[in-house]
Amino acid sequence: MQKTIFVSGMHSGQNPCSGLGILRSLREAYTIEQFKLVGVDHWQGSSGLHHAVCDDHWLLPSWNQIQDDLHAQRIQERLESGDYWISALDLEVRWLGENVGTHPRLLAPSREAVEQTAKPEVRAFRHIGYQIPEVISAEAPETEIHAFLREHSWRCWIKSPFHDAARVTNWAAFLSLRAGVSKQWKTRKLFVQRHIAGTEETLTFSADQGELIEAVKLEKRQLTWEGKTWAGRVTQLQGEERERLAECLKEVGWTGGGELEVLRTPDQKTYIIECNPRFPAWIYGATLAGFNLPALLIEKVSGQQASGLIRHARAQQFTRVVMEIPAHPAIGIPLPAEPNSFQWSSEGKVGKGSAPALALPQLRGQTDREEEQSSNNIDSLENRKSPPLWSDAEASEVNRLVRSYQGPTPERLILRENTRSRFFTLAARVREANQSQSVPQVRIGYSIKTCPTRFHVQTAREAGFYAECISQLEIQTALQAGYHSSQVILNGPGKFWPTTEPPRTGLALVFFDSLEEFDRCQSIPHLSERAGFRLRIPGLSSRFGVPIEEPSQFYGLVQRIELLRAQGDFGIHFHMPSWAIGLRRWTQAFGSLLGWGQRLESLTDLPLTRLDLGGGLFPHDLDRIHFQEIQRRVHAALPRVQELIFEPGRALTQNGEVVLSRVLDVRRSAEGVHEALVDACIAELPLAPAGGRPVYIYRVRRERIERFDAGAAAWSKGQALEEGNGRILGRICMEDDILAAHVKLPDDLEVGDAVVFGHAGGYQRSMSYGFGRG
Amino acid sequence: MDLGGDKNQESVFETRETGLIQKLSWLKGEAQAPLWLDHCGSEILQHDGKCCAQAKSWFLGWARSMDSASLVESGVRAPVWLSQRFEWGPSRWPIAWCELIEQKVIDCGVFAALARETFLDQGVAAFPAQVVLRYGERCTQHWNAYWKLDSSTNEESHELFPWIGTRHVYHEICVVEASPGEARFYDSTWGNWYLPQPQSGFGSILAIRSFAPHALNWGNYRVRSGEWLVVS
Repeated sequence: MQKTIFVSGMHSGQNPCSGLGILRSLREAYTIEQFKLVGVDHWQGSSGLHHAVCDDHWLLPSWNQIQDDLHAQRIQERLESGDYWISALDLEVRWLGENVGTHPRLLAPSREAVEQTAKPEVRAFRHIGYQIPEVISAEAPETEIHAFLREHSWRCWIKSPFHDAARVTNWAAFLSLRAGVSKQWKTRKLFVQRHIAGTEETLTFSADQGELIEAVKLEKRQLTWEGKTWAGRVTQLQGEERERLAECLKEVGWTGGGELEVLRTPDQKTYIIECNPRFPAWIYGATLAGFNLPALLIEKVSGQQASGLIRHARAQQFTRVVMEIPAHPAIGIPLPAEPNSFQWSSEGKVGKGSAPALALPQLRGQTDREEEQSSNNIDSLENRKSPPLWSDAEASEVNRLVRSYQGPTPERLILRENTRSRFFTLAARVREANQSQSVPQVRIGYSIKTCPTRFHVQTAREAGFYAECISQLEIQTALQAGYHSSQVILNGPGKFWPTTEPPRTGLALVFFDSLEEFDRCQSIPHLSERAGFRLRIPGLSSRFGVPIEEPSQFYGLVQRIELLRAQGDFGIHFHMPSWAIGLRRWTQAFGSLLGWGQRLESLTDLPLTRLDLGGGLFPHDLDRIHFQEIQRRVHAALPRVQELIFEPGRALTQNGEVVLSRVLDVRRSAEGVHEALVDACIAELPLAPAGGRPVYIYRVRRERIERFDAGAAAWSKGQALEEGNGRILGRICMEDDILAAHVKLPDDLEVGDAVVFGHAGGYQRSMSYGFGRG
Repeated sequence: MDLGGDKNQESVFETRETGLIQKLSWLKGEAQAPLWLDHCGSEILQHDGKCCAQAKSWFLGWARSMDSASLVESGVRAPVWLSQRFEWGPSRWPIAWCELIEQKVIDCGVFAALARETFLDQGVAAFPAQVVLRYGERCTQHWNAYWKLDSSTNEESHELFPWIGTRHVYHEICVVEASPGEARFYDSTWGNWYLPQPQSGFGSILAIRSFAPHALNWGNYRVRSGEWLVVS
């Protein structure tokens, strides 16, 4: 008696489901007399339903109109009558596990097995021997996530346990994607994973009750912009990899098709990216290669010998085509979309109508519970932890300052004790490094622009730092704080501003930002003891320094360095904010700089004796800098470097101040407090809306406007507000005056409560401005 | 005759061009084939003066900067960025360092030599290599026209190596010994690693030759130094 095979997930668009490929494979192996093939979907636009390979179709209502019990009952009836059901939709596989359970003719993994495919760990396949790229939970404290992203040079992905992945290249993108992906998939179990550069491969298999039937490997040769396979080469999975896969499938009792997506690096490390609990959309490509996995699965469970040539390879390689077919009159195509509903634009298509993905979001509602309940064990996989946001000493000083403060808000408070501690701790680390390695000697350069208060500049001088200035006015600030000219390094593109006064001479070092600037300065006598050039390293986007992207620019630089022969040596300077490019890329760029230094020494026959490094380190990253290692690398590459000037930039001052503010308005919704307006604004915290880094908020509960000394015991120290849907808005009439987003605001927040914004030093101070003060 | 390697392999080392062409029946119609098979890998000249020292120095500095921006964090990092700076087309040989870095267009010999220098600077053993590739006449006609046009518009007379046949072409690549005894062939003109599995069709390899100083394994093949290996 003829039986029916139902295959759901029939859309064959630019992000196709595998239903059509499964049906085409089955038809190659079985005649209609053996099995009737029925395509199933929930959307009229599902194009595969129109294909001639479908003997019949089930076009069902959208998933949000499906009555779970009725649908499950209908499927159960067909299974009991001897028919088969193969799902090509990840979400439907999960729905089947929840609503239908297991059945010998339901050819899909059980709910328990699917649960073990959650990313990033993909526990079901933990014994296959693949690595997992480093991850951090997207719910971890933002400082830790930020540190993770910096560590991996902003080359990361944000992913949900079962669906979706989006590239994260900056902090603003992370915040936006975390909110978007979380909302889209109704889960908070998101994680951030580092990008792995490698060749994409896929293992695809079919199994019955834990017994591996067949497995193949696909090398992807062409991908769509969405990362979908367009052409590839299929080979049988063999050897140990096959044995390990078989063991994994046995352990979870897998039934049905499945796909493991992996990345292979140039040094042959293999990383598991995800597991899809169904056949992949390119499954007919495997059939062409002689591995008809859907037919082998049916043959195994039905006992019906496939009549076609299911193990006959016609092509080891396949490609896809786009072709038009007649629309089936019984199905029809969707009505034209109302122009108002057209998207203005979308990647790959312009002005498209209703998206094929519409069918999927409808199904999402049905699986919310599972997504939310899924346990993806991120905690056990997180590879690193950052230190607390706020040390006890810092919290104590903030508490004391807030308690003693009387006056108007917003007000910027300097954490003097902690600033001094930070400066002198760094000085001690440098002394220790210099004791263990005599050449080159490290010396810190204090960047005046990161905080030009007399207190900071004097502290830098006491700590033995150079004053690093970018203008004549900054030199004056340094001199007024007790510096001598010979302790000043002059840098930057406009270093002689203001030009109304003669430039200060007798400086320690000047680094020229262009060859033209160097040429002009030849007429200034005794400008500095030594001179050098800031380099614009190719491959890094920067507007600063002498470009060497073209050979002629490099020749010009060589020629100018040769003019320093009277000086007897030269220096080079490299600054790039590590918070922006990440520590990994910063370290790679440092290696590149050493190479340029070697070449310049060799061509000019002059010793490179001064190397100035730094720029925009995060406070936590400064603590991780290993000076001895940098000294060792510099000495190995450039043994004539005597002094290594290290400029940590904002890392010294960023944590050293807070902005104290008061709540002016509290706005509530049914879910609680969703917006708080404070009397600080982007004029005091100019970097807040740029999202260049997280803003941490500390709260003094229940303290009143008049004085901050009441109820001081309630000061809650050192904890950033948790992630949530709230925002803290600034006082001025600017759309971008948003000081914090994605935070959970306390339900009992009141007008007059105090909010303390931490990490308000560095550029948050030096770039602040007066606005809206009348 | 020792064929070396497994049964899929046909190594030719006793004969020079005539014998090899007999073995490679497809090459019989290619008049220039003897020249291809006898051709040594291209080398870049280095003038004695400062010009070439500066030019090579700049190139290697730039290569390292490009490399430092690579997403690949382990293993051999191929110089895929070469094709972002240079376009493929005719080069005038001989060519020196100081000349080539001013060019926008370079041929496969220059591409291969630059890739080799880059690998060597990374500390990876790299050597010249050559291939004979299959293409259709519809391609070779265009390449012939392109090279002839360059020749006719170039004021300086120079001899072009006749790399283009009717259905086959001579092409230069480099071979990398990434791990001891193992060969990987990199085509820096197009930024691809060649695969040792049999290929057919557009751009597939007919024969390959390595100038690594010793024999290397490449998939199931054993690639002997300086000997053409027929791979399909």
